[in-house]
Amino acid sequence: MDTNDQYGGHHRTPARVPLGRTPARAPLGRTPRRARLVAAAGAAALALSAGLATPLSPAPSQAHAADDDGKKVLTVAVAQSVDSLSPFLAVRLLSTSIHRLTYEYLTNYDPEDNSVVPGFANKWESSPDKLTWTYTIRSDSKWSDGEQATAEDAAWTFNTMMTDPGAATANGSFVSNFEKVTAPSPTQLVIELKKPQATMTALDVPIVPKHVWEKVDDYSKFNNDKDFPVVGNGPFVLTDYKPDSYVRLKANKDFWRGAPKFDELVFRYYKDQDAAVSALRKGEVSFVAGSPSLTPAQAASLKGEKNIHVNDAPGRRFYALATNPGARARNGETMGDGHPSLLDQRVRNALFKAVDREAVIDKVFQGHAVEGAGYIPPRFSPYFWKPSPGQELTYDPDEAGRMLDRAGLKKNADGRRIGKDGKPITYRVLCHATDPNDKAIGQYLQEWWGELGIGVTLNCLDNVTDPWLAGEYDLAFDGWSVNPDPDFVLSIHTCAALPATPEETGATDNFICDKTYDELYARQLAEYDPDKRAAIVKRMESRLYDLGYMNVMAYPNAVEAYRTDQIESITTMPAKAGNIYGQDGYWSWWSAAPADSGDSSGGSSSTGVVVGIVAGVVVLAGAGAFFTLRRRATADERE
Amino acid sequence: MTSENGTTKAQTALAVPSRSLAWRRRRDSAARFWRQYRAHRAGLSGLAALLLFALLALTAPLLVGSDVDNVTDAPGGPLEDPSARFPFGTDRFGRNLLGLVIWGARVSLLVGLLAAVLSVAIGTLIGVTAGHFKGWYATVMMRITDWFLVMPTLVLAIALATVMPRSLLTIVVAIGVTTWPTTARLVRAQTLAVETRPYIERARALGGGHWHIMSRHVLPNVMPLVLAQTTLIISTAILAEATLAFLGLGDPTVVSWGALLQDAREAGAVSSGHWWYLVPPGVAIAVVALAFTLCGRAVEQVLNPRLGVSR
Repeated sequence: MDTNDQYGGHHRTPARVPLGRTPARAPLGRTPRRARLVAAAGAAALALSAGLATPLSPAPSQAHAADDDGKKVLTVAVAQSVDSLSPFLAVRLLSTSIHRLTYEYLTNYDPEDNSVVPGFANKWESSPDKLTWTYTIRSDSKWSDGEQATAEDAAWTFNTMMTDPGAATANGSFVSNFEKVTAPSPTQLVIELKKPQATMTALDVPIVPKHVWEKVDDYSKFNNDKDFPVVGNGPFVLTDYKPDSYVRLKANKDFWRGAPKFDELVFRYYKDQDAAVSALRKGEVSFVAGSPSLTPAQAASLKGEKNIHVNDAPGRRFYALATNPGARARNGETMGDGHPSLLDQRVRNALFKAVDREAVIDKVFQGHAVEGAGYIPPRFSPYFWKPSPGQELTYDPDEAGRMLDRAGLKKNADGRRIGKDGKPITYRVLCHATDPNDKAIGQYLQEWWGELGIGVTLNCLDNVTDPWLAGEYDLAFDGWSVNPDPDFVLSIHTCAALPATPEETGATDNFICDKTYDELYARQLAEYDPDKRAAIVKRMESRLYDLGYMNVMAYPNAVEAYRTDQIESITTMPAKAGNIYGQDGYWSWWSAAPADSGDSSGGSSSTGVVVGIVAGVVVLAGAGAFFTLRRRATADERE
Repeated sequence: MTSENGTTKAQTALAVPSRSLAWRRRRDSAARFWRQYRAHRAGLSGLAALLLFALLALTAPLLVGSDVDNVTDAPGGPLEDPSARFPFGTDRFGRNLLGLVIWGARVSLLVGLLAAVLSVAIGTLIGVTAGHFKGWYATVMMRITDWFLVMPTLVLAIALATVMPRSLLTIVVAIGVTTWPTTARLVRAQTLAVETRPYIERARALGGGHWHIMSRHVLPNVMPLVLAQTTLIISTAILAEATLAFLGLGDPTVVSWGALLQDAREAGAVSSGHWWYLVPPGVAIAVVALAFTLCGRAVEQVLNPRLGVSR
């Protein structure tokens, strides 16, 4: 597991603009005359650069909506690095989104309501014992190199994941219960299961072309980023990629559901969110999602802008405070150095009772989030769970203090709580240096828990993965994007997800291992009745809530913005109040329709250049005249 | 270079009159220094600005209260415009930005001073010893100095700040151990010049050891240079602190000017037009760095008359 957030929001690459270090030895104020000249030169330089910059800047903005040869290009500002372009390895939001666009999955989710719709498979049926599933593969899907895409490709993809551990890195959880996968005919795929599995119509696995991928030697190392265009059968074809610079995709005109309306889709990197927003303002990009979302201030200022639409929709993420449950591996060896007092459930619950979720929503998210309750966001209504009034850990710092007293963590003379080892308690909170919300809430935690007599050290890192995987934290900010089928986000808290040994990496999120939870997990996976399954999932959420290892503080909204003069329409998912970036499917980019922004490009930009040059010449001439005059005026002062 | 070597030499710790004589000479030279310093207008304005900021920093608990950086009881709403109540507006937590800028002066000045002292101390130690001992020791020390000199300071400081725990001390150390090489070179050159003077030879002939020569004769003579260098390095250190904090390498819970800029950037103040979040801490950094540079220049010119030739 590379980041703690498989599909989601915690992007770790920092956005950095170093401040210039002024050399301390500039000749300042040595002679008044020279100082004045320097000041004049500086002013002239400033005026010159301003004169050049302003009229020229609209030029690049025209570049994108219609390219030179009339191609319609959709540019999306992104910040998250690609971990891998191999569908067998990629787990990050951007990479998996690209796979949604370039490969077909057996099934897809309806953008209206998240229900299952045909994808690579036309239809599917299961045997009465629900152990054999037969998928009919569509015959109108071709790979981009001209070969027919068949059931054989799908069978080969699943078989490779089942036999090669390297290929099971990202999506192994889907096939661990598979007995056998065969393709009796080009349009028929048969999957036999060991035990019933509820996720059979939600297998989020990209199907890759066998004739290309069977030549790969080592699936754990191959990143699929050398040979372009990459052979695929989705609505777009990956044509170019430069790490942390851009990802370029071309529309697949033969796509069976219909060709995308834009000719090209470019994910361009803006590591600085302010730069991305400015690029949107100037029209250099058509869409900004932010990482993980626009800040309240940015959203507010963009709302008033002409030609820009701000989409503020309930997100698919939860944002939680994870507590180290005493990290250990499957072989029983413990690892890391989580604070022992956190092994007491009363302490964990008391800590969360002192977290004012309302303040988090009002002050930090400024209304762009929903107060946290259960593990799964309210957007996935069948699985959304709320604690009962008696069970809920409402904000009550006084009660939290009493709970800590009962747990035996007494205050000393200085008002600090003392742990079992006789030392005052200070918890280390692991936070993502790249997520402003982590830092902001961290400062609140420091004050809320300071009142309880507990110290907090914020440990904000660009790369939280290392201490996280090693279990070297007490608490940590955590967040995952949830899929319409919650199996994956539930699976990462089972004992089976723990690493096999302390040296290895497991799929586990937070080292949680709880018998009751695991039993419920197995039951929901085998339950085909949606209502009954949802009831079990809710019991799992209730169990997680009580355990206090995953304390969901908020469900952040997806706050994103796009230019309406470049994108006429775009599908949100779900249709009513849904997000655009990072959907479960290719709907947004596939459906995006270019706006006719009648092109004034050539004229205006060349006028810009002319105006800029004229202004520059005028300023230069002015500066020259000024200096000549100065020289003359001071001629007799000079020796 | 003015010379107090006479006074230090006279300190034979025997006669009380000679000690009071030494003090009188020191007082005299301080007065002379001040007379000459006063002639530098830029140096005076820099000093005035410094005194003002120092006063603000020292009286901050009285002026704005020590709970100004408290987020839970923030008085205003997030990112309010400047108003009579909040002259600089509020930050993303709703805290009073004017108060934060004043409070931030404490950290910025403290880190700047400590880092500069650390840097100059390392530089002086290496410079004096390398100039005094010469030979292989000096060669090794100067190669190390060269190595640090060619390393990009900021990159090295970032690397150090990343591997050490996030705290103010880390920032001080990261700046201190990366900015000393220029001081070391300057001090070594001055040491070499001082050591060729005849009285050093006399001291040696009278049985003065290495320590005696370095501490009693060389150090007092390089001190003026060190002093000027310190004032100049402080402004570099303050800028470096702001840069590191802005890059998110500082302790996020500590309010400093660089951290305020970082907060502003993270809140999206740049692209949303909340200029009052950015300008006050930015101007404060610039003014203090400028003030230290002006003072340093003036001190340098007073102590080293050759610099003033161009006047």
